[in-house]
Amino acid sequence: MPLSAWLMLIFGCVVLYGGFIWCLLIAGRKRRSSGQLKSTV
Amino acid sequence: MAVPRENWSSRTGFILAAVGSAIGLGNVWRFPYICYQNGGGAFLIPYFFALFTCGFPLLMVEFAMGKRARGGAPQAFQAIRPFMSWAGWLACLCAFIIVTYYCSIMAWSWDYIWYSVKLAWGADADGFFKGQVLNLTSGPGVLGGVQVPILIGIVLTWAAILAILWKGIGSVAKVVMLTVPLPVLCLVILAIRGLTLPGAVDGVTYYLQPDFRKLADPRVWLAAYGQILFSLSLGQAVLLAYASYLPKDADIANNAFMTGFANCGFSFFAGFAVFSALGFLAYQVGVPVQDVVKSGPDLAFITYPTIISQLPFWAPFFGAVFFLMLLTLGIDSAFALVEGFATPLKDATGVRHIKVVVWLCIIGLAVGIIYVTRGGYHWLDIVDHYISDYGLVTIALAECVTVGWIFGSGRFRREINEISEIAIGRWWDVCIVVVTPLVLGYILISSLVKGILEPYGGYPAWANWVGGWGMMIVAILIAVFLASRYNRKEVG
Repeated sequence: MPLSAWLMLIFGCVVLYGGFIWCLLIAGRKRRSSGQLKSTV
Repeated sequence: MAVPRENWSSRTGFILAAVGSAIGLGNVWRFPYICYQNGGGAFLIPYFFALFTCGFPLLMVEFAMGKRARGGAPQAFQAIRPFMSWAGWLACLCAFIIVTYYCSIMAWSWDYIWYSVKLAWGADADGFFKGQVLNLTSGPGVLGGVQVPILIGIVLTWAAILAILWKGIGSVAKVVMLTVPLPVLCLVILAIRGLTLPGAVDGVTYYLQPDFRKLADPRVWLAAYGQILFSLSLGQAVLLAYASYLPKDADIANNAFMTGFANCGFSFFAGFAVFSALGFLAYQVGVPVQDVVKSGPDLAFITYPTIISQLPFWAPFFGAVFFLMLLTLGIDSAFALVEGFATPLKDATGVRHIKVVVWLCIIGLAVGIIYVTRGGYHWLDIVDHYISDYGLVTIALAECVTVGWIFGSGRFRREINEISEIAIGRWWDVCIVVVTPLVLGYILISSLVKGILEPYGGYPAWANWVGGWGMMIVAILIAVFLASRYNRKEVG
């Protein structure tokens, strides 16, 4: 598979699965700290 | 004494239900093809742009509208401006029309699980699907008789929907614990099988190799917005209804992000299962991958069975896994669409939930009979086109106008931020007030112009009128009637 296809594969994985994991981490952090922390986008 | 409103028993239940409603057949048979057709890996750039500027903002709007109104789509619009509740009723009607034909596709999946056991399609999957399964007539004017195996499938599907919705949102929360992970597991099995076949790498290369020149074409960006809008169950009353059962302190923004990422992540992954299999088929037949690429029902019921027949071992097993995946993908969306109509009807009329659901299932089954006739496939195609291109886009546009322009995007955003784990910035206002309405308005107007100039799909003008324009006009009139009838009643 050409390098450009590999790069798009990594790009897609980072945005989609990285984004999902980031959301889970925020939900977990909030659960532990009872709403003291808030991320901003 | 008023019965207290049900709540989701857990956050996981709500997110899985929202994800299950969003993830449907289109994630498997539409996204990979759209991605391949619009620049391969380069399509991810407009796709993510559309996700962030239209998908996430509208998901937040639907979650927040449903939660603040504690009611379905019409009540959510009514809570902001009573005269906009027609849009909510229109969303419910569109959802119900969708589920009437969606169930027939699921009926094909039931049948194909059975056919997989003996690979009944043989060497000619195309002839089997169109000739034996559908027994397709020459056009929508010839309905022909009812196809009994599909009728049995559709009865099974409606029975499953009724059973799942029997105890309301409580039973939905339990069912999605199975019906959301199961298709993911099936997809993983199919992807592993596909990627270990000869020719798979060629297929995946076609899927992902970027053609950045395509990004200069505005149609690619519109395709990305279209895919996001149709894939996330937006404008279908479902997410509004689900959000109305959220407890008062429930999060909005993070739930929307999780739903969007999960849905698009599934689509992206589905591309590997689909294109690795297509690469294998191209390798077996000895043609380039582009010669075997298909989308929609043709991919699922013609190309994929052909691939399954060529598998070196366990072909019936992988066939059954594929059609079980389609079935479980569809069932979440199907019962969500029914619930999207049942919740506001229950809220507006005060009739018990189960009674509303039973009636909706009976009416849905009766209406759905048209799609199990020999000419039903033509009607499915026409109705789906008009509902998707006009109905859902109109409702999403109405949501943007109601929240962004009438209620005030800043005020709405502050409401979301008060209860959310992730505080959203002013970019959200720009998306809801400017970007999304502009794109949706353009999509709607260009579709209208195209639809007026030439009848859809080469079908006769009368069929486009009956199954398309006429149906949309009647749906709008019924929505306006329901809005005027029930607006006087108290919300929630």
